[in-house]
Formats: sequence, structure tokens, C-alpha cells
Amino acid sequence: MTQANRLRATAARDADAPLLSVRDLVVRFKTHDATVHAVTGVSFDVAEGETVGLVGESGCGKSVTNLAIMRLLPKPAGRIEGGRVLLDGQDLAAMAESEIRDIRGRDVAMIFQDPMPSLNPVLTIEEQLTETLRAHRKISAADARQRAIDLLVLVGIPNPEPRLRNFPHQFSGGMRQRVMIAMALALEPRLLIADEPTTALDVTIQAQVLELIRDLTQKTGTAVILITHDLGVVAGMTQRVNVMYAGFIVEAGLTTDIFAKPSHPYTVGLLHSIPRIDGGEGEELIPIEGAPPNQRLAPVGCPFAPRCAWRTDRCLTENPVIVAVDGSGAAVLTGAAATHRIACHNPPTPAEAAAGRPLSGGASRVGATGDAR
Amino acid sequence: MTTRTPPVTLAVEARASRGLWGDAFSRLRRNKPAIVGMVCIVLFVFVAITAPWLAPFDPNKGGLGKSFEAPSLAHLAGLDKLGRDELSRVIFGARISLLVGVVSVTVGLLVGGVVGVLAGGLGGKVDMVLMRIVDVMLAIPGILLAIGIVAWLGQGLVQIMLAVAVTNAPIFARILRGSLLALRDAEFVTVARSMGADGRRLVLRHMLPNALTALIVAATLALATAIIDVAGLGFLGLGPPDPRTAEWGTMLTDSTEALRRAPHLIFAPGIAIVLSAIGFNLLGDGLRESLDPRLKR
Repeated sequence: MTQANRLRATAARDADAPLLSVRDLVVRFKTHDATVHAVTGVSFDVAEGETVGLVGESGCGKSVTNLAIMRLLPKPAGRIEGGRVLLDGQDLAAMAESEIRDIRGRDVAMIFQDPMPSLNPVLTIEEQLTETLRAHRKISAADARQRAIDLLVLVGIPNPEPRLRNFPHQFSGGMRQRVMIAMALALEPRLLIADEPTTALDVTIQAQVLELIRDLTQKTGTAVILITHDLGVVAGMTQRVNVMYAGFIVEAGLTTDIFAKPSHPYTVGLLHSIPRIDGGEGEELIPIEGAPPNQRLAPVGCPFAPRCAWRTDRCLTENPVIVAVDGSGAAVLTGAAATHRIACHNPPTPAEAAAGRPLSGGASRVGATGDAR
Repeated sequence: MTTRTPPVTLAVEARASRGLWGDAFSRLRRNKPAIVGMVCIVLFVFVAITAPWLAPFDPNKGGLGKSFEAPSLAHLAGLDKLGRDELSRVIFGARISLLVGVVSVTVGLLVGGVVGVLAGGLGGKVDMVLMRIVDVMLAIPGILLAIGIVAWLGQGLVQIMLAVAVTNAPIFARILRGSLLALRDAEFVTVARSMGADGRRLVLRHMLPNALTALIVAATLALATAIIDVAGLGFLGLGPPDPRTAEWGTMLTDSTEALRRAPHLIFAPGIAIVLSAIGFNLLGDGLRESLDPRLKR
């Protein structure tokens, strides 16, 4: 059935159109005294079977972006105020609730950060594992049970049959996340959104869980959006990366390009603020000074400008659009030939990127230190 | 880069699950006051059920010649103004209290539960309208509301049950709605939504079982209040219309009328009311502690 769905859906759209295409997504949270500009014009694509990273610090809008894709923003404060979210050409942002409900779990599934509050404490694992199945198919209790057992085997939980009757508190953290993965992949969705799937887990378990996600999604050809602030996870798991800052995507490209040739000052800062395993003793960590902008204020200029060592006067007034680093025209958005793109008026040179700081005081520069606001 | 995930064989062996309720019960068993409460309740229910066999005398047979006789070995609690055995009447009175308590709290739970689920589950205008009605009902003191209903519908057991149910229903509705609202933003609810669960399933299957614990505690405590309410109505002369019916509150009124001649008569019904009400209160508090993980010591 999933196979049939997939074929039907593939036939319905252009051969080279991406699976998911987010365009100019704007999400704002309205509270009684302020409006939070959580996501401001984010665009990115995900092709069938691709694993794409979404990186950024806490509060940069990466989780909100994905909750918006799933239409799970907390109501009534969070609203999609603009843009489109095209899955196979269908706009998820404009769908009726009953239509998006059919998409959730079947076409797009989600894994959340902390598996403890994500599982219902009063329902057995069986009940929760079959949630997806029951929401989308008429299925007998016996079949659902068998499927649940198969899923537990698939995610490597030993002794699955008696464990079905267990409750979440009888599982360890890593086991719970495996159950979550099994729930999310029950119907072999075409897109899996993994929102910091390993942040709440023990380091030793993290690798196992990531490997499990990679293996299972490769098997089913499921595309993955991996949200994380862990650059190591990004390097190991993804083919492409989008770097987010304060509700904008500031740099996008192949994972190898981003790590080898970081071109946006924020990405440069990120990479210089974590120690490298081959960095040697003399390696200097350069923190990004300052704090992210107050997103209660409508963004003016480049959001990173107040913290940026490369900023110019123009940066403070005009928000740069995202363009190819090498200045070429049409950008390739998905796949192995994806264009390396940044949103920056005054990008660091490769030498400066390697050093992590501006090498000479340029004429256009406002100040050399990053902490001036 | 390996492509196979090693099977996890951790020390977490599958053990027979006692589940949420099993764990709660084992916590309850360690709670001494709750055990005392349970003993009171078991005694109360046992007495109510076995009254015809347990009572030493017929509660309605007496003789005016023996009116107000003091307690003796034959009549442990003495005789009332019609010469009836007070202890036997107290034993039969347990039936009325238990029946009215259980029926009225059950009816209150059903009505209040439905209102609470509709308000907390649907939210919006439905919630607003229902909660304003609940506000109005909560604004009237419970016993006053009950008196009003009995005065309106006339005396009788069914009316008493209805009156007590009506005073309880808005309390249950409010509690359930509050729990459901708090659960609406729970992460597992978002997860269930992300799996494609519809609103009905979210509320009934995911949120309601989590909200029930508060309601169970409230219902247990409401049983204590119901017993007192029934006795209170009886005391005010709004008890069962048939004067032969043994009802604790009515018995208390009768005994106060003869307080100077036969002070012993107030003890048996008074003790019965206190013990049964305290029993449900202690159990309710114990349940609250054992069902609420935040109160875990």
C-alpha cells in the first residue's frame, strides 16, 4: 500500500521535483504582549531518500520550521503567516485539518527529542506502536499486534512479545527512543523529521540510535530532515546541511562543502567554537560573542550582524538574500550537486574562514570585535 | 561505517508488568492512614450488605413501653423513642448511606465526566458555555442546592440521590476539564497527533486515562461528602419520607429531640457517620498520594 502510494505520488509530480519543497515559510507566535518572529522566510528542498541536516542554536527556529511542516504548531499562539510547504506539489500549509491528518504518520512522520514525555505513561507499548497503523488503516487487532512485534524486532528490542505489554517507564531511555523510531516508521513514511533524536540520550546510545535511523531509512528510501545542534552528528549523518540563525537559513550546501569551506561568518564561528579531534594542542577555540537577537522585534538587516566580525554598514540595514557562493546563477537545491549558498554581504575569505577571524581591517568594516551591539 | 545495528541485550529484562495501577496499589498498601480508611470502608460495606443477618433485632419492631431505654447487654446502643433497637437501626442505616452515596456519586461522575470531556476536549465556545453553567452551580453552596432540589422535587430516596449527584457533577466536570487542558500540550499528545490520531482518539484514548487519576481521588472524597450530605438532609428533616426507614441523619435529629432524656442515642448514628466519612477521606488522600507521581516520597 505504501508502495502504491509512492508510485501514485511519484507519477503525479514532475520527475525532478523534490519530495518536499518549503518556500518562504514565515511562522510567528502571537502572545498578548508581543509577536515572536520565529521563522522568517525559510526555503529549502528535500529530495526523495536524502538526509538533510538543519543546524542552529537553541531558539533559531529549526524545530518550529518542522512543527510548521507537520502543522503541529502550538495553538493558538503559533501560526504559519506565509509561504508554502509543498509535499508532492500539495501545499501542506493550506490543507484542511482532516487532510493533513492523513498525511501525518503515513507520508511524514516525526521523532521527538526526549522519548520519556513523548510516550503516553498509561498506555502499553503495543497500544502506542499500533497508533499509526490504526489511524490510517482498518487493521485487525491480531495483525496490528504482529506488526508491532515486527517493528520491535526491526529496531532491535530483544524479547519483543512480552515487552509489548510493558509501559514506557519500564524501558530505558535508548529503548524508548527505539520505540519512538518504530512508531514513526510503522507505515514507511516518505519523509522522517528527526528533531534532535539523540540529544536526551547517553553518548554511548546516541551512535546506536543514529545508526538505526540511518539503516532503517535507507532500507525504506525514506528522506530525513535531521534537526540538531551537534555538528558531529551532522557530519556523520547528512548529505546536505542548512544552517539556521534567528529564523533565517544563512548557509546551505553539501555537508562536505560546509565543513571544508564554511563561508558564512556564523558557520565559521560555529566550526571554530568546537574542538577538532585532529586539532592538536595549540588549537584555539573562538567563541561567538554576544547573544542571538531578540526575535520579538521584526528583523532589520542581517540577523547575525550584531555579533559578526565581518559586518559592514550595509549589514545593519539590509538583509542579504541567499545566493551561490561562487556567484553562479541558477542554484541546484538538492542532490549530490547542490550549490553551496550563503546569505552574506561580506563573506570571509577562505583564509579568514580557516583562521576564524578577519585578517585585515577592511575599509568597509564597522568594528573588529564581535561583541559590540 | 557499519550497516548493521548490533542487537541490544541490556540488563532490562522483560518483567511481568504491574502497570500504572499495580504500582499505585503497591504504594497505597504502604500508606497506613489509607489502610485504616480502607478497613473502615470494608466494615461499612460489609455491615450494609449483611444488615439483615447482622442486626440483632428488627429495626422497626419496638414498643412504647421500652422507649428511651438505656444501653444494656441486649441493646448495646439502647432503644429509641419508639422502643426500637438503636444498634439495629444504625446497621440498617448503613444501607441507605451506601446506596445513596454510590448512586449519587456515580451519576455525578457520569454527568460531570461527559461535561468535562466536552469542555476540555472541544474547547472554544463549548468550553466557555459549559464552564459558565458550572460556575453558576458551583456558586451555590452544595447543601443549599441539595435542599432546593429536595424541596422542589419532594422528599424521597431518588430525590436525595439526585440532589447529591447535582451538587457533585460540576465539581467533577471542573476537575476533569482542568486535567484535560493541562494534557492538551503534553508532548505525548503532540506525538500522537504527529502519528495521525484524530481529535476523538486524542481525547478519549490518550488524554482521558491520564486525567482519570484526579477524578478517582475526587470521587472517593465525594463519597465521604455524599454520606454527610445525606445525613445532613435527614437531619434537616428532608430524609426519606417513610418514618420507618432507618437513616442516620434522621436518627440524629430524633435523638437530639430527646437529648436530655436519653443522651446515649446520639452516639451510635454519630459514630457511624464519622467513621464512614473518615474512611473515604483517608482512602481518598491515600489514593491522591499513590496516584500522583509528584507526591512520591
